[in-house]
Amino acid sequence: MNYEQARMKFICDEHRCIECFGCAVACSEAHDLPVGISRRKVLTVFEGIEGKEYSTSIACMHCADAPCQKVCPVDCFYIREDGIVLHDKKKCIGCGYCLYACPFGAPQFPKNGAFGTRGVMDKCTLCAGGPEETNSALERQLYGQNRIAEGKVPICAAVCATNALLVGDAEEISAIYRKRVSSRGKGA
Amino acid sequence: MMKKYWFVLITSLLAASIASAADSRIWGGMILANILAYGQEHATRLGPLFTTLQAFYFRKIFAGVLLCVPAAFLVHYLVLGQKVFSHDGEKIFVFSVFKRLVHWLAALAFIILIPTGLMMVFGRYLGGGTLVATARHLHGVGTVVFLVAVIPMFLFWVAEMLPTRDDMRWVLMAGGYLSRAKQEIPAGKFNAGQKMWFWMVTLGGSGMIATGAALYLQDFDYGAASLLGLSQIDLLRFCAIVHNFLAMAIIANFITHVYMALFAIKGVISSMITGYKEEEEVRFLHSSFYKKLKGQRQV
Repeated sequence: MNYEQARMKFICDEHRCIECFGCAVACSEAHDLPVGISRRKVLTVFEGIEGKEYSTSIACMHCADAPCQKVCPVDCFYIREDGIVLHDKKKCIGCGYCLYACPFGAPQFPKNGAFGTRGVMDKCTLCAGGPEETNSALERQLYGQNRIAEGKVPICAAVCATNALLVGDAEEISAIYRKRVSSRGKGA
Repeated sequence: MMKKYWFVLITSLLAASIASAADSRIWGGMILANILAYGQEHATRLGPLFTTLQAFYFRKIFAGVLLCVPAAFLVHYLVLGQKVFSHDGEKIFVFSVFKRLVHWLAALAFIILIPTGLMMVFGRYLGGGTLVATARHLHGVGTVVFLVAVIPMFLFWVAEMLPTRDDMRWVLMAGGYLSRAKQEIPAGKFNAGQKMWFWMVTLGGSGMIATGAALYLQDFDYGAASLLGLSQIDLLRFCAIVHNFLAMAIIANFITHVYMALFAIKGVISSMITGYKEEEEVRFLHSSFYKKLKGQRQV
C-alpha cells in the first residue's frame, strides 16, 4: 500500500443505497450548515421505473482535474496532496463561476452576505476543514468539522447504514467496489 | 408583544428560505439531469465550454484589449497627432442640459462598472477577499446607475443613430482619422463611429444588464431558461460567456470613445460640458449635418 500516492475519493454503491438520507442529514448536522444548504444530496434516478430505479448520494467529487479550481477568478481553490479539493472562504468573492464549471452542482451559496446578498461559496470538504488552523474555532465556523485531522471517516460515510457510501484512497475503495461487483455478479 | 412579531417575522423568513431551497432550479430536482448530461454527446456542452474559456482565454483577451487598444491609440497620437479646429468661430448648440446630464450619469456608471468588472477578472492578482468582493457589490450598484441612464439615452438618440448613406463612406475612410488632412467627412449629427458606440452601449449594455442580472440572481425563474430550451445552470453558463465577450467589446469601444473625446480632436469634450460645438468641427467632421443646418439657415 502506497500512502504517499493516496488520492481521497467517494464512491456510492447504487446497489446498496436505500435512499435513507442519513448521509445528507448527518452532514448538515455535523457541520452546522445553514437552512437551504446541503453539501450532500441523495438523488433517485429513473424514479418509479421498475428494474431501472436506483438512488445515489452526491456531493463534491473532489475531481483530480477540478474545473472549479481552473475557473476561479481569485484562485481560492487548492488541492491537498491527498486529492481533497478545498477552498479559502476568506478569498472567495461568491461570483458563482465554480458552480458553472462544476459537473455535479456541488458549490452552493448561502445568502449571508451584506443585506442578505449571496455570500461566499460552500461545499463538501470531505470533512477536512479549510486553510485555517486545524480544529480551530474559526475553521469549525467556516468549514465545519475537520474529522480527517482527527483520524475519523467523513461523517456521511461513517453513518451510512448499508455501507453504500465508500470514502478513502481511490485504489482501495475501487478494490472494495470491484469485490462487491464480482460477488453479486452485477453493478459494474 | 414585540417578541411575538419578531417570531412571526423570523419564522416566515425561514419558511421562505426552506421553500426556495426545495424548488431550486439549480440544486433541486434539475440537478440530476444536469449531472447526467454534462459533457455528453447530445448535451449543450456549455459547461466544458465555459470552463475552457474562463480557465484559458477570458483573462488573456481582457489583458490583450487593455494593452493593445491604448497602444494603438498611442501610436496614432504620436504619428498623426491631434486634429485641431478653430475655437474662435460660431458655436452650434448640440446637446441639451438633460442629454448632457444623462450622458454623464452613464459615464459615472461606466467608471464604476469597468474597473470593478476588471477587478473581478484579475481578482487573483489582488488576492481576492473583501477588496474583490466589494468590487462585485459595487458592480451591482453601477448596474442600477447605468440602467437609469441607458433608457432615456436610448429614447432621445435612437432616431439620430439609425444608419444613413454617410455611414458606409465614413467607415471606408475610417472617419478621416488615418490622415492629417482637414477634409469634409461624410456624417450627419453623429458619425458611424459614434453610432457604433451608441448601439454598443444601448443594445450591448442591455445584454450586459440581462446577463449580469441572471448571474446576480442565479436561482430564479422568469421563463428565460425554458424559452431558450436550456436548463437553469446552462442558462447561467451561457450568460457568463456572453457577459465576458460583450464586456471585451464594450471596454475596447469605451477606450476608443475616451481617446476620441480627450485626445483625437483638441478640446472636443467641451461640447459635452457646455452643449456647444465649434462651427469648424461641425463643418469638417459632420459635413452632412452642417449642410443641413446651412440649408435651414441656422448657421
